[in-house]
Amino acid sequence: MAFVTESSRFGKIGWPLLAWIVALIFFFPIFYLVLTSFKTDADAVKPEFLFRFTPTLENYTNMTQNYDYWRFAINSVITSTFATLFALIVGVPAAYAMAFNPSRHTKDILMWMLSTKMLPAAAVLYPMTFLTKNALGIFDTHFLVILVLCLVNLPIAIWMLFTYFKEIPKEIIEAGKMDGVSTWGEIKDILIPLAWGGIASTALLTFIFCWNEAYWTVRLTTIDAATLSKLIEGNRAPEGLFFGRLSAVSTAAIAPIVVLGWFCQKQLVAGLTFGAVK
Amino acid sequence: MSDRTLPRILQTPAVLLLLIWMLVPLSMTLYFSFIRYVLNSTVRPEWMTPALSNWRGLGNYGYVLKSKDFLFAIQNSVLIVGSILILTVLLGLAIAVLINRNFPGRGIVRVLLISPFFVMPAVNAVLWINILLDPVLGLQGIAVGGLNNLVDGLRDFPVLGYFFNLWPVFEPISFRATQTSAYAVIMMVTWQWTPFAVLIFMTSLQSEDESQKEAATLDGASPWSQFINLTVPHLARPIAIVVLIQSIFHLSLYAEIEIVSRGNGNKNLPYLIGEFANNNIGAASATGIFAVILANIIAIVLLRFVGKSLMD
Repeated sequence: MAFVTESSRFGKIGWPLLAWIVALIFFFPIFYLVLTSFKTDADAVKPEFLFRFTPTLENYTNMTQNYDYWRFAINSVITSTFATLFALIVGVPAAYAMAFNPSRHTKDILMWMLSTKMLPAAAVLYPMTFLTKNALGIFDTHFLVILVLCLVNLPIAIWMLFTYFKEIPKEIIEAGKMDGVSTWGEIKDILIPLAWGGIASTALLTFIFCWNEAYWTVRLTTIDAATLSKLIEGNRAPEGLFFGRLSAVSTAAIAPIVVLGWFCQKQLVAGLTFGAVK
Repeated sequence: MSDRTLPRILQTPAVLLLLIWMLVPLSMTLYFSFIRYVLNSTVRPEWMTPALSNWRGLGNYGYVLKSKDFLFAIQNSVLIVGSILILTVLLGLAIAVLINRNFPGRGIVRVLLISPFFVMPAVNAVLWINILLDPVLGLQGIAVGGLNNLVDGLRDFPVLGYFFNLWPVFEPISFRATQTSAYAVIMMVTWQWTPFAVLIFMTSLQSEDESQKEAATLDGASPWSQFINLTVPHLARPIAIVVLIQSIFHLSLYAEIEIVSRGNGNKNLPYLIGEFANNNIGAASATGIFAVILANIIAIVLLRFVGKSLMD
């Protein structure tokens, strides 16, 4: 196994080269998707135009008429933004209380919150359809999608916030208490400025999860509140040769989130492992 | 207000919301699982409204356990989740070790590698099953066609031609059949989640004790034995976490199955629930309860693992 050592010539060039090749292989499907989005539907399936073709923007300019893209995109933006916002509004005070005034039950409450995340969504599919359609009449509304996205991601948001808040020395918050600052003042003037980075990355990650959610957004909407997941799912088997336009709409659906994701890859580890891996 | 009431008030909205979200639909599922409840029936219209008079006891559970679909869905869930876990952990370990060193462009390599994780599941499925794997129009079809043409051309060569004449004409694989579509799902989810494993293993590798390794090198331990004896034990916890978190996510895998397999017979538990829910709500609910029990077993193990380290 001598070749594994860093000092050997192969170690200096070979391993980095291999790392680059692996990274390019993993990125290739995304690259190919973007590439195909610049081909006409006819060119997209022809071998002779695999990598050499005349790029066209027509798939993007026709996205509105082909797929009504913007309606779904706007729904995704609205529902993900408000769900994230509400998750923070409910989550920050809760995480604050649990981090700075823990009781005997705090640990159990946190664990229980996490366990709600583990319930398989499909198990409550019919009750949710029944409740929202027949009993409450909120099926296929923005309100419902925002509510569900918020609830689905609330446990992870609280966990992330809790992990960040725990890092703040208790004394700083207590000093505020001594000075007679109200609880609201503590949160607004001391906690939020101090934990701004943590709150921002929690928001970013929650937003990403909301955007990509593909069970409830598909099953609890038809058209009015349908998001991009629903749009793509509805076009899963294109009739005829529509790879060009399908690639364009897919690229447009994932581009903002993939770019956002690049900025919060470090926080992803803390967020998804609940601080258990450092 | 005392020191104790205020924190309680602050966490009440979150607790209450999650409690309602968990209890209301779940208790309805539990109730429906014990009654006869169908959406359409010309023979027994009284079953179309949920009522205690339609009590069936454990009948729905028996019905589900006896149905071939249930066994198949469980087997398929195990096949899909198990394969994804093995592949992501092995690939994740290999890649994490590979990029855990300094080399030019390491930042870009990380960004390229993590990208698949942020692709929305619906796009992931559409991209793989149509644009990459379609046997005729997709990249697979194009690649297999190209390879056949190449071999065809080589058949005319003087000596080499004899060798290439022995080659068969390659057939592209259709990933829309019952069994192969499970492989397609495994492929696309592995592609999406290997980056997650890499990220976690890398984070963990960076906290590894380097001095231990240096001592081992001085003692003449080979890189391989260092990896087995030092690195792997250090990674045991992250591996467990990757396995358990992924099991939770993949047991409820839905969009990928829906897009790849609709109508071809391939199914996992969530998909089977969706199928039952088209008419037989009683059976759908009983299947749902089975899924909850399964998820709970995994959740308990996960919380045991993760729970200890969380509060310190």
